[in-house]
Amino acid sequence: MNIIINKTANVNAALLTGNEAIAAGAYKAGVHVATGYPGTPSSEILPYLARFNKAVVNWSINEKTALEIAIGASIGYKRSMFTTKHVGLNVASDPLMTLAITGVRGGIVIITADDPAMHSSQNEQDNRFYSKFAKVPMFEPSDSNECFEFTYEAFEISERFDTPVIIRTTTRISHSKSIVHIEPAYLPNMNSNLENENNSCLKKKPYIKDIEKFVMAPVYARKRHKIAIERLKKLQEFSNNSGINNIEYNSLDFGIITSGISYQYVKEIAPFASVLKLSFSYPIPDLLIKEFVKKVKNVIIVEELEPFIQDEISSIGINLKGKEIFSRFGELTPNMVKEGLINAGFIKKYDNKSSDKLQGKGGLSKLDSLLEKLPQRLPALCSGCPHTSVFYALKKLKVPVMGDIGCYTLGALPPLNAMDSCISMGLAFGAAQGLSLSNSSPKKIAGIMGDSTFFHSGITSLIDAKYNNACFTAIILDNSTTAMTGGQDHPGTGKNLSQGQVVSNKIDIKRVVEGIGIDEIYIIDPYNYNAVYKTLKKALSSKNLNVIITKRPCILYPCKIDLGKKFKILEGCNGCDLCMQIGCPSILNSENFLDNNKPIPFIDSSCIGCSICKDICVFNFIEEIKS
Amino acid sequence: MDAQNILVCGIGGQGVVLAGKIISNAAYEKGFDVKTSEVHGMSQRGGSVSTHIRFGDKVFSPLIPEHGADILLSFDIYETLRYAKDFADKKTLIISSNYGKIPLWASTRENDRISIAEISEALKINFYKLLMVNNKETVMSLGNIKVANIILIGLLSKFTDIEEDFWFKVIKDNVPKKTEEINIKAFLAGRNEK
Repeated sequence: MNIIINKTANVNAALLTGNEAIAAGAYKAGVHVATGYPGTPSSEILPYLARFNKAVVNWSINEKTALEIAIGASIGYKRSMFTTKHVGLNVASDPLMTLAITGVRGGIVIITADDPAMHSSQNEQDNRFYSKFAKVPMFEPSDSNECFEFTYEAFEISERFDTPVIIRTTTRISHSKSIVHIEPAYLPNMNSNLENENNSCLKKKPYIKDIEKFVMAPVYARKRHKIAIERLKKLQEFSNNSGINNIEYNSLDFGIITSGISYQYVKEIAPFASVLKLSFSYPIPDLLIKEFVKKVKNVIIVEELEPFIQDEISSIGINLKGKEIFSRFGELTPNMVKEGLINAGFIKKYDNKSSDKLQGKGGLSKLDSLLEKLPQRLPALCSGCPHTSVFYALKKLKVPVMGDIGCYTLGALPPLNAMDSCISMGLAFGAAQGLSLSNSSPKKIAGIMGDSTFFHSGITSLIDAKYNNACFTAIILDNSTTAMTGGQDHPGTGKNLSQGQVVSNKIDIKRVVEGIGIDEIYIIDPYNYNAVYKTLKKALSSKNLNVIITKRPCILYPCKIDLGKKFKILEGCNGCDLCMQIGCPSILNSENFLDNNKPIPFIDSSCIGCSICKDICVFNFIEEIKS
Repeated sequence: MDAQNILVCGIGGQGVVLAGKIISNAAYEKGFDVKTSEVHGMSQRGGSVSTHIRFGDKVFSPLIPEHGADILLSFDIYETLRYAKDFADKKTLIISSNYGKIPLWASTRENDRISIAEISEALKINFYKLLMVNNKETVMSLGNIKVANIILIGLLSKFTDIEEDFWFKVIKDNVPKKTEEINIKAFLAGRNEK
């Protein structure tokens, strides 16, 4: 590996995240329509693509709709891309499974960004199984350069083999930066008028209908399914011969089959080993694998999460060790790969320079004892977050709360502890109906979700609740953004990526709820804690299905809000701890203690002036600072 | 050369991501192979945040191995303690703010509290070199709280093979035009310290 990189080598290169590189690859491929719903770690692809100002790039109401828009564009001979996080592909799996047999006209590329270790997700499902499930080919890039190249390639393959193509990344690919060999013309803000060659999409084709391809009624679906099975054989041939899957021969004693980020860890820790890198990992290259295990004596599989490659390889009659050595849980790290390779006998225990680890010296125990006392820093709602007062009031009212996915999931954590479920997007209102049907709670149930989640999949369950005469209180926390994923627009904001800042069709949540036929609707300002408490109490004591909409913009998105007020805790505060119970990051324990060993709280300069704590301090020790 | 490993840590919202961007872009401008890794999402909401930066002739893993950080740059003393345990070793240079925000729900009893003096003492015994920065003082002399991180980056820059000009270019690329001057001043204040 004698790569000498110098200043000149960086001319046709850029340091990009995996997500940015995917967007650049799609731009190079001439993508015409790109859709998705925000979800970590996939959220930055579409905003970056929108910066090129070429394709139609839009957030959709949810993943299913997003993929359906992409399918329509493809039927119209245009290239389209759909981006999602792993769990979002579950939502879009209905169109995916049948798109897999209709095939495409314009190429369709599906980006699924998985989140091993659940940095910001409710599960760590391995979406590689979707490629096998749907019989569609899959790429697994291992760095940003491959994200760029494979995305471009995926469009070509999609059209060549008449199939949607999945590109599966993980958090460590999506959110890692590495050097991409890219002409400046394929970066945004270069005002390029470069025509993308080999791009079928640029040719305008008039619409022609083809019901045998796109009407999957049984009579045609049976034919198409056969075609899809035949297609797999051709794709396997491609997997073997295209050169995208590649063997790096080194020692013929030690061989590793790997994919994605695991490849990077393997190269770093076992540079001596021969490596079969699966970049096009479904269908697997059976002939390459057979050649590899024939030539190399000891072969193991290093893959993150599920034994996907391992199962595929065992299905062709080759049994190799993989998950016996490497965890099926969480992400792999360089150290886990190292330990696994030690256990597999690939490297000796201390042959790497590990001699400088911390060793005693008397101070280590001191470090350990301090660490034991160091409290975990849990994520918390922001200072001034409009969700805070609602959760504090729900906590006081001690009602069961069916919750959902967004920033407000943090309302489940201490000190608020006011949410009892978080399972899937849009769960809250369905689960609230079900929980009330169980008759297990003497108190009325509350269901709670944000505005973006309401549009994503809360509307349907609220209609169902009205239809089925359900009785619970539905709370919609409207902060006019999709906050947790970084402040993306949604139907309630009326803006979108391609339209810039123009407000076009803003969908009013209240009118949606009225349209369903729900009469008891409360609109409240969450900065008025007393009104929040009273309204919740009233709504939760009525025997009707009712809706509370709280309205206040997020303090971070689209722009940071500071109300220009500051609050302070007055002298004489008795340390009762009540203000600490709202979990505001601006209210801290000071270094000073009262006689009874209780810390005196203080409000630091990050206070934005929401005044919720003032309403909560029953002793009136909190006051606005008058300058 | 072997990859140089820099771990930046702090609390969500403190500018860890921007600091990581400045350091990695400076290494990139110099012509190194560079990889970085960070995690977005939940950790932005006041949680503990870190960015891994690795650069050298050739870098494979975007993650720094355990005890593999050459430099640990921290914007919060409590986070310094948290990350030093896993990523530092005897050769690690630790550059840390001497300020720390006590995590919410920190122990409410006085005798359970960890003092900043205790932390710095424990770090000094265990690690190669500890540079504690009272950035409040320097910040005050510059008159702008927002440049605190740049001061620490300036200090860090002395321990890398990246020349001043690359840093200047990257800082200018990444801060608002009207704050360019004060940011460069802050960078130099850190770089020329002691």
